[in-house]
Amino acid sequence: MVCADHGAHLLRLEFKEVAQNGKKLARVLQRCYELYGYDMVLVFSDPYVEAQSMGCPVKLNPYPTLLGPASNNSIDRTQEIIRAAEILKDKLDVPIFVSVKGPFTLAAFLGGIERFLKMILKNENEASQLLRDAQQNQLEYLERILSVGVNIMIGDPLASSSVISPAVFAKHALVGIKSIIEKSKAHGVLAGIHICGDVSPILKHLDTSGADILSVENIDVQTDTVRMGGVGTDTILNGDIRRIRSEVENALRQKPIILSTSCDVPAQTNPENIKTMLRIASECGNELRGI
Amino acid sequence: MFELLRKAVIDMDDSKVAALVSQALREEINPVDILEDGLISGMQEVAILFARKEYYVPEVLLSSEAFYAGFDIIKPLIGKSSRKPKAKIVIGVVEGDIHDIGKNIVKVMMEAAGYEVIDLGRDVPYTQFVEAVEREKPDILALSSLMTTTMTQMDMVIKELEQRKLRGDVKVIVGGAPVNHEFAMKIKADGYSPDGPSTVTLIERIIGG
Repeated sequence: MVCADHGAHLLRLEFKEVAQNGKKLARVLQRCYELYGYDMVLVFSDPYVEAQSMGCPVKLNPYPTLLGPASNNSIDRTQEIIRAAEILKDKLDVPIFVSVKGPFTLAAFLGGIERFLKMILKNENEASQLLRDAQQNQLEYLERILSVGVNIMIGDPLASSSVISPAVFAKHALVGIKSIIEKSKAHGVLAGIHICGDVSPILKHLDTSGADILSVENIDVQTDTVRMGGVGTDTILNGDIRRIRSEVENALRQKPIILSTSCDVPAQTNPENIKTMLRIASECGNELRGI
Repeated sequence: MFELLRKAVIDMDDSKVAALVSQALREEINPVDILEDGLISGMQEVAILFARKEYYVPEVLLSSEAFYAGFDIIKPLIGKSSRKPKAKIVIGVVEGDIHDIGKNIVKVMMEAAGYEVIDLGRDVPYTQFVEAVEREKPDILALSSLMTTTMTQMDMVIKELEQRKLRGDVKVIVGGAPVNHEFAMKIKADGYSPDGPSTVTLIERIIGG
C-alpha cells in the first residue's frame, strides 16, 4: 500500500503540501502507480483526516501527528481526499479505493486515545456517545465518497486485538465497521477492512462482516474473504531480496490473496525494494500460470 | 489486607486501592510490604493476564491507574526505607513520536518489578537521551517508537552514544509496534521486547547476564 507519505518523499515534496491539496495528492499517487505498476490505488493521506475535520489538532510536518482530543478548531481536508479520488478515478484504469476510518478508531481520536480506551470500560455512556458521533460523521463522509464511484477501505487500527479485547470489539467496533460495509455495498462498490496487529481473536467477525477484502498483518489464516497483505512493512523498509522473495512466495501460496504490504509503505522506503517485490510477484505469477 | 489490595489493582479499582493503602498506613503496616505484597503483586498478576490475552490495553491502563493511586501515596515513604531499586532505567519515546501509551505501560511494569525509572516522556530528541545517560548513569536505556518514520531515531541515539564513548556504559533496549528483533540487531541494540511484561523479563536477562 503506497500512500501519500512515501509519494511525497519520492517526489521530494513536504508531506504537508500533499496532505492539504487534493490535486497534489492525486499527482503523487498517480506518479507512484506509474513508477511501480501495481493493480489498485489507495487514496490515503494520513489517519487523521476525519478527526481533524471534527476538531482534533493535527500536526502534518514532518510526520502526521495527532496532538490531542477534539476541540473547537476543525480543519476540513475531506474535500481534498474526494478531489484526489475524482482525479484518479478519471485518469487511471485500475480500481481506486479511498481510506475511511473505522468509527471506533475515530471515536478514540476524538476523545483522546488513552482516555477513550479507559472510558470504554469505566464510562460506557460517554464512550457510546463518541461512537455514535463518529459513526454518523463517517456515514455522511462515506456518502460523499461513494458519489465518486470509488471503492472503500476501512482502516480501524485501534480495533485490533493488539489493543482491545474481542468482547469490546464485538460490542463497540464491529457495528460501525458493518454500517460502512453495508452502505458501500448498497452502492455496488467493494469494501475492504484494514486492521494492523493481531486479529486472530476477531477473525470470525471480520470474515462474516460482509467485507470483500481483509487487509491484515498475518495472512497465514483461513478465511472465506479475500486476504490482502503478505510483505511486512519492516521487510519492505529494511529487508534484502532474499527476505522479500520469501514473503512474496509465501503470500502467493495463500488463496485467495491480494499481494500487498501489511500496512502502508514507510515514507523512506527505497523504491528498489518495492520494484523488487513487484518483480518477484510477477515472476511467481508467471510460474503459477506456466508462462 | 494485602490480598484485598492485590485484588483491587487487578479489578482496576483506583479509589479502593487509595483507601486500602491509607488504611494500611494507619494500621502502621510497613510501606515496603504494602508495595511489594499488595500493589506489585497485583500488577504482576495483571502482566500475566495481559500475556494470556485475558487483559488488553484498556484493562492494563486502568490497573496501572489503580497501581499509581496507591504507589503515589507510599512513594515518599518508600524513599526513606531500605528498599533499594534493582537497577536504574531511563525510558522515553523518540523524537517525532507522541504515542506514549505503550511506553507508559512498560514504565509501570518496570516500577512494579522494582526498578527505578526516569521517564523522559515523548517526542524526545536523540541528544536528550544521550545527555540523560551521561547525567543519570542508568543501567538500561529503553527507547520506544510507534511509527516506522520515527524508529530510525533509535539508530541515531545509539550512534550518538558511540560517538560520545558512552555506549559501553549502558544497555539499550527498544520496543514499539513497528520494531522487531531484526531491526534491534541491525541498529546494534542490546535487546528488543514486544510488550510490557516481556520487557521486564528482557531486563532481568540483561542485568543478570
